[in-house]
Amino acid sequence: MARPAAAAGIVRRRSGAWRRLLRGLYARPSSALGATLAAAFLLLALLGPWVTPYGPLDQDFAARSQPPSPAHPFGTDHLGRDVLSRVVAGDRDIFLLAGSGTLVAVLVGTLVGLAASYRGGWVEEVTYRVFDSLLAIPALLLALLLLGSLGPSRVSVLAVIAVAYTPIVARVVRSVVLDTKTKEYVLAARMQGESTAFVLGREVLPSVLPALAVESALRFSYAIFLVASLGFLGVGVQPPNPDWGLMVSEARDYVYLTPWTLTFPALAISLLVIAVNLLADGLKRVLQVGDTP
Amino acid sequence: MFMNVWKNVRRTRLRTVVAALAAALLVGGAVAQSAPSGTLRVGMETPSKLDPAYASSDAEIAVLNAVYDYLVDVDADNNVQPRLATSWKVSSDGLTYTFELATDATWHDGSPVTAQDVVYTFDRLRDPAAKLPTSDLYADIASVTASGPHQVTFTLKKTNPFFLYDLSDNHAVIVKNGTTDFTAFDGSGPFVVQSYHPDDRMELTANPHYFMPGKPGVAKLELIFFSDPAAEVSALRGGQIDLATRLPTPLYQSLANVKGIARLDVPTNGFNVIRLRSDRAPGNDPRVVEALKLAVDRQAITDAVTQGLGAVGNDTPIGPLYKAYYDPNAQPPQTDAAKARELLKEAGYPDGLKLDLHTPNTGDRPDLAVVLKQQLAKAGFDINVIVEPESVYYGDNKWLDVDFGITGWGSRPYPQFYLNVMLACNAKWNESHYCNPAFDALVEDAGTTLDAAKRVADYHEIQAMLASTGPIVIPYFFPQLGAIRDGFSGYQLKAFAGRSDLAAVHAP
Repeated sequence: MARPAAAAGIVRRRSGAWRRLLRGLYARPSSALGATLAAAFLLLALLGPWVTPYGPLDQDFAARSQPPSPAHPFGTDHLGRDVLSRVVAGDRDIFLLAGSGTLVAVLVGTLVGLAASYRGGWVEEVTYRVFDSLLAIPALLLALLLLGSLGPSRVSVLAVIAVAYTPIVARVVRSVVLDTKTKEYVLAARMQGESTAFVLGREVLPSVLPALAVESALRFSYAIFLVASLGFLGVGVQPPNPDWGLMVSEARDYVYLTPWTLTFPALAISLLVIAVNLLADGLKRVLQVGDTP
Repeated sequence: MFMNVWKNVRRTRLRTVVAALAAALLVGGAVAQSAPSGTLRVGMETPSKLDPAYASSDAEIAVLNAVYDYLVDVDADNNVQPRLATSWKVSSDGLTYTFELATDATWHDGSPVTAQDVVYTFDRLRDPAAKLPTSDLYADIASVTASGPHQVTFTLKKTNPFFLYDLSDNHAVIVKNGTTDFTAFDGSGPFVVQSYHPDDRMELTANPHYFMPGKPGVAKLELIFFSDPAAEVSALRGGQIDLATRLPTPLYQSLANVKGIARLDVPTNGFNVIRLRSDRAPGNDPRVVEALKLAVDRQAITDAVTQGLGAVGNDTPIGPLYKAYYDPNAQPPQTDAAKARELLKEAGYPDGLKLDLHTPNTGDRPDLAVVLKQQLAKAGFDINVIVEPESVYYGDNKWLDVDFGITGWGSRPYPQFYLNVMLACNAKWNESHYCNPAFDALVEDAGTTLDAAKRVADYHEIQAMLASTGPIVIPYFFPQLGAIRDGFSGYQLKAFAGRSDLAAVHAP
């Protein structure tokens, strides 16, 4: 039953929070750099096909192994494909795969984490023992196992990220929920007879959000690494798709001959991972995660 | 400069004197070099199976070739040469081969090599119950007997013009009578194993009692194992190894104009076959096969994938290296994407044909798949490339099952192998499931006739068949690429790098 004025107030408050967040991020050069770079990568991913000069799969045999030039700013590879266009297309790919994989992990992890830890008892025990056993396996190993049985494809890479990171997100959520659920305002809401869904959504979730934001950013940076590693190992995205890890792997033998085919995708992976990490650090500082009780 | 001087030496008598002097110098040099000296460090892939019956990779065969001896060897020009057997006689019916063994050959433990060792070796390799990789190859041997202390007689069930090549199969190094455990490396070969660190290196020294004069040339041989060719080339550039073979094209090219390193490049009959299963849809429709052949531009593939270093193929495994057997007139249909599209339409694929293309992740095969995808797209094929580790591609015989795939085949000294093993109706590795009785009759005849002219005619007819209608595309034959540090002499790279003679190398 929100009246227009109240709705406007919420919007104003929310945009105020965004502004505070941005101001906080840009108060320090490191997080400002991280935020800017990450935003630039995101923008490039969104605009990708409209700004790249060539198709990422287009082979031009007349222009094979060309060093960087005005026509091909990042040069071309041994099949005459434009490296810049491939790096940009790979950017879009990595946001799609790592981004949506992380999103699924965060959504599922939050839901399961909230419900199980709030409920407590055997549900919590069983859920977290299962998650702990998943966490005992290194993410890359788990990914290789899953891809070995699912077969390499985009969907399975996405599923692998979700499976690998859901338990971690759920753990973070749990640590906040355990603390929050004994707070007086939560107890008060329960005493008032509010439904579990209401208590979780309105009273508990807001206190989880800052930690969740930081965790999502961190997970995203790990997911980028995971997608790139799987591509490098040849079990993730398949050729001729312009996956960064795959491009690095394919360019290994060309390290002396056409070093630019190796340098630019490798640089893109490093830059994006560093940017997202700096952003996560900034978020942590601005949202005071870890300091708030 | 030298030639000018030579021309200036006018008088014949003077020439004779100069030539004699030069010869004396050469002989003197050879004598001075005859005692093994120096060290040769060879980079190679990591060997894993060192039981001769199972060894197969270049690295594994290189180890065998250094430690053991073959009965007969095949040189870089595909000619059979003596090794443990110094001479042989073939009966007029072509069914009995008698070999005389070197009388001064000894095992590394000092005991002499006898005919019994040869009998044991081949009885082991041909035992049908043991199901070894060589069981089929030697199935037509009726008996192997020691007809003297240093004389071995092979009797065949049917004539085989390539029998000497078969005896020189990569697996067929002569092992000591009764050996079942091959970790002692008790061979008769030019090098003696001093230490072996699996996954790292093997250190060998010259066999002081080796029976072949002048061999080996180096006192010490180190085989250093690499899992990544880029790392191997870095080691070569950095001076940690002296010789590397089986180099990927880009790494080979990166060594151009590198001081102190000479590049090696020999043509081979090794190839990648792009094959379509022909016993079920869509490959069982000859129009689809023809469309595939029409869609491929072999020259463009050779230029792009081998950077022009390969030799263009004609969709048959019989390449130009086989000289008389090769027929340059057997040509696949001229590239014509429009006609291919038309054929696909007639075959019932008006909107194009969607196919998964499976390929192992090794060598230039992923590149070939990517270039092929683009070429075939112009003709209406919608190709989904699936690159797999070799363990997956070859595991569970998946490669024999998939509809569309790329498989690498190594170079062999004679063509009959490919026909017997990959194209005859009931061939063990008939991945395209090609079955043509007329073709099989030609293969059978070529593999048994002792009439060389007849064999040539058979092979030419086989090539015409495969080029026009065979469900395979062989776009190029790849070269064997390597590099060696300056100053080393005597090394001759062979098509199968593992069979190159390391004992012939002399250190600077």
